[in-house]
Amino acid sequence: MSRPASQGRLLPYILISPLVVFIGALSFYPTVLSTVQAFFRVTPLDPPTRFNGLENFRDLFASSAVRTSIANTAAYVVIGVVFSVVLGTAIASALQQHFRFRGVVLALVVLPWALPGVVEAVIWNWMYDPNFGVVNSVLRSLHLIGSYQVFLGLSRWLTVALIELSQIWQITPLMALIILAALQSVPRDFYEAAHVDGANRRQSFRYLTLPLIRPALAVSSVEALVLSLNIFDQVYVLNGNATLGSSLMLQTYIVTFQDLNFGQGYALSLVATVATALLSMTVIALLYRRSQA
Amino acid sequence: MTATTPATRPPRATSSWSGPGQPRRPAQRVARVLGRLVALAVILLWSLFPLYWALNTSLTTLSAATSRPARYWPSPLVLGSYQQLFGISTSRSGVAYQFGRSLLNATIESGGAMVLSVVVAVFAAYAFARLRFHFKRAIFVSVLATLLLPAYATLIPLYRIMSNVHLVNTYIGVILVYTSGFLPLAIWVLFNYFNNVPPELEEAALVDGTSPVGALLRVIVPVALPGIAATAIIVFLLGWAQFLFPLVLTSDLSTQPVTVIVAALNGQRIVPLTLLMAAGTLAAAVPGVIALVLNRHIIQGVTAGAVK
Repeated sequence: MSRPASQGRLLPYILISPLVVFIGALSFYPTVLSTVQAFFRVTPLDPPTRFNGLENFRDLFASSAVRTSIANTAAYVVIGVVFSVVLGTAIASALQQHFRFRGVVLALVVLPWALPGVVEAVIWNWMYDPNFGVVNSVLRSLHLIGSYQVFLGLSRWLTVALIELSQIWQITPLMALIILAALQSVPRDFYEAAHVDGANRRQSFRYLTLPLIRPALAVSSVEALVLSLNIFDQVYVLNGNATLGSSLMLQTYIVTFQDLNFGQGYALSLVATVATALLSMTVIALLYRRSQA
Repeated sequence: MTATTPATRPPRATSSWSGPGQPRRPAQRVARVLGRLVALAVILLWSLFPLYWALNTSLTTLSAATSRPARYWPSPLVLGSYQQLFGISTSRSGVAYQFGRSLLNATIESGGAMVLSVVVAVFAAYAFARLRFHFKRAIFVSVLATLLLPAYATLIPLYRIMSNVHLVNTYIGVILVYTSGFLPLAIWVLFNYFNNVPPELEEAALVDGTSPVGALLRVIVPVALPGIAATAIIVFLLGWAQFLFPLVLTSDLSTQPVTVIVAALNGQRIVPLTLLMAAGTLAAAVPGVIALVLNRHIIQGVTAGAVK
């Protein structure tokens, strides 16, 4: 090459420097700052900031609102992961074979995932409306309820389940797409071979399809886990600031930006981040290990 | 599993296998087709009903929207809510101005993040895919690792950093934060596209004396245009859907995007439901139309991004 060697050697660093600045300043530095400040008393309205060890964590776990939000988030995650992955698998199986208008159906199925969660939550809020909601209307027409009901804000677990339902509706298309890609990579010969060997449909799904798509199930479970552990938009709209259906993310928002206790906010964020990392690794380890058995 | 392989079917009359395209009896075949149609109808109903419901409410009068039992189609059909949102109707409400301005804000913020992310990611992904330099693997892995960082990890410190540099409630602040969040995904999608471009293509240009940057812009970018388009669309949709970050980073109508305004209108309880649903429908229509028209790009990008 004729161009000066120094220019060639510097070029890669010039090309990646904007990226490094962005990720360094707005991802790594904030993460480190957040982790360190979790052990400090940080209240902008009442300075100074000083080290206070584990006090933030002690105060958080002493708060019943925080404990409720942790238990609720566990429920959001369990319901969200199980239903979005199972529904995603069902939808992917139904869309696996080619048929006319399959592309159109696929595009429509993806729609809930492409739209803003908070706008969707406003729509679900209207559907759950105690006075005029369509959910009440349908259940009443089917004689499943005698009169219109208040669905949100009374019973804790019903509220959590209905809020998570609106998130499941939003994220299931993502799970379906991931699993569909895996289903389509299974060669058709495999099914024919299984058929020749006398396997019925249920058996070939159980012993052929399921093991082969296990990595995709692991990936979609982790995606569902992270999304449901981070649930905020739906809770903000459908639950409001109440403790009843509060999630970890909503509680972090309230502690930080309404109570203005930044130190406790950092501490709660740290707990959630560590929980996300540990749970993701557990899901991957479980699903991958079983695939080798 | 297809009709072209009847010879391989076991000669047992009691075979429980009844895959598609194996019409043992016409009745069985009809039952299968019906079963699949029902399954598809249920899937479409589940996917589309809430969106239809918002549209249905937005296209009727308040008294029709609040009738018992609910009316499952808009009757009477009126466009009043949309006229009001666009400020066409006589009752020029504050909602129309708020909504219009928030659409503009969302467009500027998502669009800005889209342009910035794609430009930064194209150059960096090219370096990762084609060039050799120190710490390449370490940098690449660290960038991708931030994909796993939940919003928890950065929300509060980003607010404090932006507050310290006086970028809270500015377009630039929102765009910078979005870009930092979307870059890892953009890098990953583009890196995979660039890796699939045969190196021979740009080697010819390099031998002719073109600089690597010239080869990138004139040879690789045109070939990888579908990948770049997919990246741009995904980043735009991600930006449009943001709520928590702009809720924290914006404080008034000069920068609040449409998601924040729709949530605020919902919380005020004085905005008529028909108007609220019209606002929701329009806020969803922008990404909705993009997702429907450019569906293939998105599915490619999503599956590339998901298989980390």
